[in-house]
Amino acid sequence: MGKILIVDDTMFMRTLLKNILFSGGHDIVGEAADGTEALAKYQELKPDLVTMDVVMPKMNGIEALKAIKAADPSAKVIMCTAVGQEQMVKLAVKSGARGYIVKPFQAPKVLEEVKNVLSA
Amino acid sequence: MFDEEVYRKLFVEESRENHENIVNNLLALESGEDQQTAIDEIFRSAHTLKGMSASMGFDAMEHLCHSMEDIFSLIRNGQQEVNASLTDLLLTCTDTIEGMLDAIEAGGTPSDAQSANLVQELRAFIEDSPDEQEVPGEEVPVKPAEESDGRPAYTLSIAVDPSCTMKDVRAMLLLQNLEELGTILSTTPSRELVEDGKFDGSFEVLIESEAGEDALRTVASGTEISLLGLSPLSSTTAGAKTPTPGPTPVCQGDSPVEPRAELPSPQVQRPVKSEKSREIKNIRVDIQRLDRMMNLVEDLVINRGRLEQIANKHGIKEFDEALNMVGRSVSDLQNLMMGIRMMPLERIFNRLPRVVRDVANHDGKEVEFVIEGGETELDRSMMDGLSDPLLHIIRNAVNHGIETPDVREAGGKPPKGLLRLTARRDKDNVIIEIEDDGAGINPEKLRKKAVERDLMTPEAAATATKEELVNLLFEPGFSTAETITDISGRGVGLDVVKKTIESLKGTIKVESEMGRGTKFELVLPPTMAIIDVMMVQINGMRCAIPISNVVEVAQTRPEAVHRIGNSEAILLRDQILPMHRLEDMFGQAQKSDTLVVLQNNGKKCCIVVDTVDGQQEVVVKPLSRLAGNCRGISGITIPGDGDVVPVLDVNTMV
Repeated sequence: MGKILIVDDTMFMRTLLKNILFSGGHDIVGEAADGTEALAKYQELKPDLVTMDVVMPKMNGIEALKAIKAADPSAKVIMCTAVGQEQMVKLAVKSGARGYIVKPFQAPKVLEEVKNVLSA
Repeated sequence: MFDEEVYRKLFVEESRENHENIVNNLLALESGEDQQTAIDEIFRSAHTLKGMSASMGFDAMEHLCHSMEDIFSLIRNGQQEVNASLTDLLLTCTDTIEGMLDAIEAGGTPSDAQSANLVQELRAFIEDSPDEQEVPGEEVPVKPAEESDGRPAYTLSIAVDPSCTMKDVRAMLLLQNLEELGTILSTTPSRELVEDGKFDGSFEVLIESEAGEDALRTVASGTEISLLGLSPLSSTTAGAKTPTPGPTPVCQGDSPVEPRAELPSPQVQRPVKSEKSREIKNIRVDIQRLDRMMNLVEDLVINRGRLEQIANKHGIKEFDEALNMVGRSVSDLQNLMMGIRMMPLERIFNRLPRVVRDVANHDGKEVEFVIEGGETELDRSMMDGLSDPLLHIIRNAVNHGIETPDVREAGGKPPKGLLRLTARRDKDNVIIEIEDDGAGINPEKLRKKAVERDLMTPEAAATATKEELVNLLFEPGFSTAETITDISGRGVGLDVVKKTIESLKGTIKVESEMGRGTKFELVLPPTMAIIDVMMVQINGMRCAIPISNVVEVAQTRPEAVHRIGNSEAILLRDQILPMHRLEDMFGQAQKSDTLVVLQNNGKKCCIVVDTVDGQQEVVVKPLSRLAGNCRGISGITIPGDGDVVPVLDVNTMV
């Protein structure tokens, strides 16, 4: 089970995801509401995995992903995405995202993806 | 999957923020301000709303937000123009979303009935716009495959779960993960097609790798992916099979950690706007909790008063000192608490530009709406009450005040009318002004109407001053507009506005210059909960009078009292003031010659009291619903000794 940093600009989504991840026995070490905060928290907390929302103010998820990857090439980042964002997610994958989960989140799928990315 | 009620509150709160963000940026978009920022912000908020509503299972809202997001995706890519009809449609959508949020907050689930038409209309816009272009930066350069270098090769047959959303991304992730283990020589169908999702559930990968079968097997059976088959090939066969001629893109795998990370990605290289985005640095506290805290602070204030009285009786020095310290802390706590309850007026001002726009569009008028001092703070308990009166005055100003562009030009004014809403703190009050440069109010019209409506006798009307005439606007049933429009509405007039403002312990004043414009001035106390009062005794009973209503305390002689009809008046320094004995409230008192002169809204009167006890800061509590509406009493207060004391409502006396 891993230490996870949740990045999303709404508390609603963070709470939702936190509860799903808790139910899977994961440890939520931190939350961030935008890309800048995500990078700072990543460097501070060194989580095993980051769930990264794509559309956020200040620094979006792709830029944050790139910044985190630049700081730590082995960082494991899962993108939180929604139908219609295929192009953005592909860009994220090309920038080093290891997985993706689709809103609305289905707990089993989220946990499966997190488990797979953590064990890879 | 989860208890939806737990999330409902959070959902509504954050959705409202995003909803407001959309509305404000739509208006900013129309006014031609920083377009790109506005478009990005709307896209982001619509997207966030979509994601949240989908998670809550509010499908109707999700569909609507999804369509809005799609439109803004097109606008962002320059494939759709923003025009007035689209803005109208989008604003209607935001209204619907607001309605849905109201329904959700009340515990309901919005139905598609509210939004199906809107979704269709939005779809029509989307279908009318040119086909979506390829997103720049997505093109994968075709690179020739490397010559086989004799490593073992395998054919993997892979299936993507039919329930997978974005199977193209899933396939891409898999191929990328496989590339970390070796070199992908080819895929069937081609990699380009696979990564576009153009395969029917399964595809094959020919890979050269030294990682071994097990490693490949692990990677090839990830989330939503299953490995149908894995068969090793001899290295010569692998070499013969590659490269596939034609446009099949086969990528080299010499940078396994960050494959193709260096590709240009113009989508994300837009400059980051840092200051404009909102940043959440505050915590949320349930308003009811704040109210409970406020009640506790009020109890503390009351009990401090009690302690002070006890201390006075016994005169223990040490006790006094301790009490002083407690008193100071309580005062600080009280001030802090009042501060926390304050909210910037922006919270209600922000809704008004939309109203101005709608009314102006409806009437074919051009209006520049300026808001100043939105940061001025007011107790949150007053916010709700203030919203409707403001809305009414603003609508009136556009609807009746500002003229159409041709009329304005004929009168030598710029075609665009100016409507200014300002708020400021002035000593103990918050002053809100709504000023337009429109037609103003015609006093002659008022004069005529006053007689027609039986509000004045023809004689009185003929001699009435402009001020008196303008004040008639606040009389029930007095409306000078020739026709009742669907904008300004029917029934609710300025009299209701005035009543509402007075119920907030505020006053409203209007000034108007024909041809130059009209100005409404609202003066409000920043908070209603704690006020300074003068404590008086009437017929042996205590009663509190808000100090803001007290002009002076005077002594009189019986000869100065005159009877005028059924009422009494007094001549005080050349001024005739109506005099009230409040006998119906407090019973018949012994003769007293102490008067308290009261004023409200520029009008004065006086009441007879036995004695004046002094001035005190008290907490005013509203009367319970059980007590009903008591004319003359605006609330009650409990001073230190635990007595229940009525607070006079001076509005009803002058």
